[in-house]
Amino acid sequence: MSEELRVSSIETRGAAGKKRYAMVVDTRRCIGCMACQVACKAEYDTPLGVNRTWVPYKVVGKYPTVKKQFLPRLCNHCDDPPCVRNCPVDATYKVEDGGFVLQRYERCIGCRSCMAACPYNARFMLPAHRTYSKITRVVDKCTFCFHRVTQNMVPACVQTCVGRSRVFGDINDPNSEVSYLIARNATQVLRPEEGTKPQVYYIGADRNATEFGRDAYSKPEVMEPERSAFKRHFNI
Amino acid sequence: MGDYVWFHDVSWHASYAIYFFVIGILAGLSFLSYGSWITPALRPLREKAAYISLGLLAVGGLLLIADLSQPMRFLNTLNPAYLNFSSPLAWGALNIVAFGIVSVLYILELKKGQDSARGKLLAMIAALLALGLPIYTGYDLTVHQSRPIWNTPIMPVLFVALAIASGSAAGSLLAGGNAEAQKVLREYMLWSTAGVGVALISILGTTNYGGSASELTFMVLTSGTMGTIFVGGGILLGTAAPVAILFLAHLRQQATAAMLMLAALLILLGSAALRYALLMGPQQLQTLY
Repeated sequence: MSEELRVSSIETRGAAGKKRYAMVVDTRRCIGCMACQVACKAEYDTPLGVNRTWVPYKVVGKYPTVKKQFLPRLCNHCDDPPCVRNCPVDATYKVEDGGFVLQRYERCIGCRSCMAACPYNARFMLPAHRTYSKITRVVDKCTFCFHRVTQNMVPACVQTCVGRSRVFGDINDPNSEVSYLIARNATQVLRPEEGTKPQVYYIGADRNATEFGRDAYSKPEVMEPERSAFKRHFNI
Repeated sequence: MGDYVWFHDVSWHASYAIYFFVIGILAGLSFLSYGSWITPALRPLREKAAYISLGLLAVGGLLLIADLSQPMRFLNTLNPAYLNFSSPLAWGALNIVAFGIVSVLYILELKKGQDSARGKLLAMIAALLALGLPIYTGYDLTVHQSRPIWNTPIMPVLFVALAIASGSAAGSLLAGGNAEAQKVLREYMLWSTAGVGVALISILGTTNYGGSASELTFMVLTSGTMGTIFVGGGILLGTAAPVAILFLAHLRQQATAAMLMLAALLILLGSAALRYALLMGPQQLQTLY
């Protein structure tokens, strides 16, 4: 992408001399093993009931020709993130070199404005009690494994992905694997109409999975018992 | 079926709607207190409106702080080193504090018991700052580009109209048998509630013709429990019915105390229902994305 296409000063895709990390998710290669979700949980001790990454699916087709469409989800580390604009105390911010959208836990007041602003539901409130971490009652999200990437490792979900469905790299580097995949394949991003310029690119994602379907209106709250139990248990 | 969707909780819960309701009434009462300096008929409401407005600010402020998951960090919103001025919440925090300070000064001036120029000036500043409260709360919703209903430029205007309507309704209940004040207040209630109706028609019309998310949000808001609250409580009982009562009074140029009290109560009920539905309804669809 040429620099001229950037409309906001916060955008770093295509900016000379800067990294802009992105993830490509090839849904054709996803087998729905949820290992990415488990790896993420293990990496961060993400509590019960909330996730930094998750893998929803839809069953499509007509019996006997049916299949599951997986759509691994995570924070899109938008190039123009609405959560950063909305945080009243700058508790969420974008790292200029790399494009990570991160959270300052010690500053977060828990107003949930960033959660409301995120079109991707990537943010969640940490419960009051956690086993290993003292970070509680603040908003959390995927960090693109900032601590690993800055040590020249890939994110935990990418490392564990058995089908190499998830690929991570610097999109500003024309020789990176993500640049190659985006150049050679038709890619989709989630909710492009929101203008957030998400940096998670999907190959082979179906519109049934990426857009609001009419069934969203009549869908029963299948998770309601689990949600209620979680809220009762963690007092949120 | 067989689909697997991770459930996401709504970001803002009902306590925020109560905060919107409280802040609307206090803004409306602040307008009335300033109005009493210009319209002599409202003079009996001046002190009452100012005191209740400040009291409601304390209630609203506590609600807002209690709603934070880190309540003691509310001070961060007043820390110049932390403030992010692209967030409406940051402006809102400053607006609330400024309104509180000016309200206290205004009440101290009122305590002197004289109609001073300084009192009028403070009343005007308080009313202008009060105007900022519904504007910022509306803007707080408007900026969320991914939320149908919220993301409309008319939302701050709707919140201002709701503030005038609910403040005038509260004022009407406070004015009791004062016929002169009631005559003015019933006109305020009528035209502000009619303004709310026009804004709602505009919002619903454009939402119903939006994309799939807008259309589905329209369906959430107009059916089921949310439909009962929004359409039944907010639009029919809380907007159409009081407009009809007040318009009748406007045509006849007279109204019984019972009619005005009923209209005022319906407006308060409606503005509470509308704020709840407008806050919670547009969040329902997102929980399944």
